[in-house]
Amino acid sequence: MAQQLGTAQSATSFLGRMLNWRRQQLIVAFLFVLPAMINFATFRYIPIVQAFIASMYDYSLLGGFGDFVGGQNYMRMFTDPVFWRSMQATVLFVLYKVPLQIVLALGLAMLLARQSIGTAIVRSAILTPMVTSIIIVSIIWAMMYHSQQGLLQSLLVTLGFQKIAFLSDTGRALPAVAAMMIWKDIGFSFIIFVAGLKGIPEMYYEAGIVDGANRWQLFRHITLPLLRPIMMFVIVTQTIFSFQVFVPVYQMTQGGPLDSTKVIVYYIYQMGFRFQDMGYASAMSIVTLVLLLMVSWLQMRFLRMDD
Amino acid sequence: MVKQSIAAITLAFALLLASCGGSSAPAPAPATGGEAPATGGEAPAAGGEAVTINFLTLQDDDLLIATNATIEAWKRSDPQYANVTVNIQAVPFAQIFPAIETAVASGADLDLFLADGPDMKHYAFNNAAIPLDKYFTAEEINGFLPINVQAGSYNGVFYSPGIMESCSLMFYNKDMTDEAGVQPPQGYQGWTMEEALPNWQKTVKSDAGGNVSQWGLRWGQGTYWGDYELGIVRRSAGPKGSPTYMGMAADGVTFKGYMDTPEALRAYEFQRSWYQGDIPISPQEPINQIFFNKQAAFYISPDNAIGTINRMFPDGDFNYGVTGIPYFADGAQICHTDSWHFGVSPASKNQDTAAALVKFMTGPEGAKIWYDLVRQLPARVELLNTLPEYSQPPQQYFAQAVQAIGEPRIQTPGYTEYQQVFAEFMQNVAQSDAPIDALVADAVTKIESAVAKYKGWNE
Repeated sequence: MAQQLGTAQSATSFLGRMLNWRRQQLIVAFLFVLPAMINFATFRYIPIVQAFIASMYDYSLLGGFGDFVGGQNYMRMFTDPVFWRSMQATVLFVLYKVPLQIVLALGLAMLLARQSIGTAIVRSAILTPMVTSIIIVSIIWAMMYHSQQGLLQSLLVTLGFQKIAFLSDTGRALPAVAAMMIWKDIGFSFIIFVAGLKGIPEMYYEAGIVDGANRWQLFRHITLPLLRPIMMFVIVTQTIFSFQVFVPVYQMTQGGPLDSTKVIVYYIYQMGFRFQDMGYASAMSIVTLVLLLMVSWLQMRFLRMDD
Repeated sequence: MVKQSIAAITLAFALLLASCGGSSAPAPAPATGGEAPATGGEAPAAGGEAVTINFLTLQDDDLLIATNATIEAWKRSDPQYANVTVNIQAVPFAQIFPAIETAVASGADLDLFLADGPDMKHYAFNNAAIPLDKYFTAEEINGFLPINVQAGSYNGVFYSPGIMESCSLMFYNKDMTDEAGVQPPQGYQGWTMEEALPNWQKTVKSDAGGNVSQWGLRWGQGTYWGDYELGIVRRSAGPKGSPTYMGMAADGVTFKGYMDTPEALRAYEFQRSWYQGDIPISPQEPINQIFFNKQAAFYISPDNAIGTINRMFPDGDFNYGVTGIPYFADGAQICHTDSWHFGVSPASKNQDTAAALVKFMTGPEGAKIWYDLVRQLPARVELLNTLPEYSQPPQQYFAQAVQAIGEPRIQTPGYTEYQQVFAEFMQNVAQSDAPIDALVADAVTKIESAVAKYKGWNE
């Protein structure tokens, strides 16, 4: 009896220690997460709430909060042609950039996933733009694109072509900015794809080869399906980043010509800081946020693994 | 082990929080080379209180050199300022307006800022600058050129003295004009636009493929599409006092009937021909330092270009001349005035010290130091009248022109909004083939919508 009691007490004590240990583990985990939570709350969630409140007011930075206007700033977007042009420019930018960047990044990742001579150098070359300051990159590319003195113009003339206005042409300015951003951001997608490719067990490919699959079939039926979660991550993050493009537009084109590069974040900046209309700028920010959430949700739904 | 981990993380996090707990303002550079900013624990030296003035200014080499030199002279001028540290935060032109606005709105530790003259009305309207009339006597205010006082005042109250004045005339590269057989007129009166165009075109050099190696004209310094430069062209299309010449109604919020008159439309069409005509005289995309790099024959600029030429070509191997700014034959010659003004922030805890610094920098001694380093028209009357170089060409032309044809840019608290739309409009004129009347109608609508909030500001 006493022995049974001792065993039960020992078990209870062990359980208590385990619970205590688990609680301590949770506290440790919480402390690890806490800085990120504070960062998100301070620099993301609280500003979002404040932006939503500001969007309901006639509000400017210097003038402060004026009249409560309710949903007026939201209604204004329907009749603001520049807002729609900005949305169009933003969507076009995303469509120019994201698919091409992903195809190129995946192709490069497949070429360079395995270690061979010179791989490290090529990888470094691909990753370097990613860690270079966007403002510096924008200045350099604007110089390269310059319609009279750009490096690209010299190349065109050397190859026997006429000079081309990239940034001052309504049809070419946005693709030119997108091309620069693909070059800048491709390293991010590339490195994620390389990690994803390394995570695919070799035996699947061996089995496929035994079954007589060719390279395309291996890619189509093994690589692509197993890369799906990675692909979803890259597509969603790149779409979000591309929706938020600002610096290259600010530096290279100032939204012109004819609003052809006036993406939504640039227009929000212009309204808030140049036109002293922070209420309307906040409303557009909220709408952009909602749109991004919807697009991200749709992308995740279509690319879900269990489909 | 777990407890140790908790303790370690807690300590690390506490340190992180502590390190984030300092001033929210960005760490500024000290005003003078090598001088450390004042620290909280620093004991005041004899005769002066340790005060730190945070000064937001323009990122421009010439201006920063002049600013530092003037501040040093101010500190030497009176022992009570010997322990003042001026922390300078310099930002590029395009960012100075939002930087001031954000700093004032967030209550940042800002005492003093440098702002473009026409923007001062915006800051005064929004109480982002304090009136300085209590620091300046009427006699001292009269020491500035009237156009300078006009730009720095809001509804009759003096807010902001200017450090210098401006008036753009037309520089030309004499080697290029001689080679092209072009003889610009002497004096500030200059050509009409109709006379100038064929002469600009004569100086253009291009190959058979249309690749231009030498351009005819760079109209304006700094921003390529700004009102300071390009706004002059349309205003010069109307006779003095006409709506086109005024640029905007007296209420400061009406642009229809002023910016879109038939004369103004003709001026915009004329401007488009510079970039898209049979013989383009200006590139559609700005080329940096195009005149100083000897890639353009003519250059519209204030007289600070003389200082730049002297600095870049100390041996004098830049053969240049100055003539008047062109204008339309049935309009009136005009140059835009104003330059940089000082504003004291209402959030400043050291307003008296900041105002004292402004007063010194814009006073007789400070303005002279500034002029010697920047070489641009002084805002002070007696300095302008006593500097020997302004009594002989080419600088004499600037002194004469600023008083004869100088007009402030349009005076409205909505200048920034106007300027933003106008720059976009001019970019579209130059780079697109959209009908000018549609572009200007769109621009007028946008401006009037953006500045409607200022209605009644001067009543």
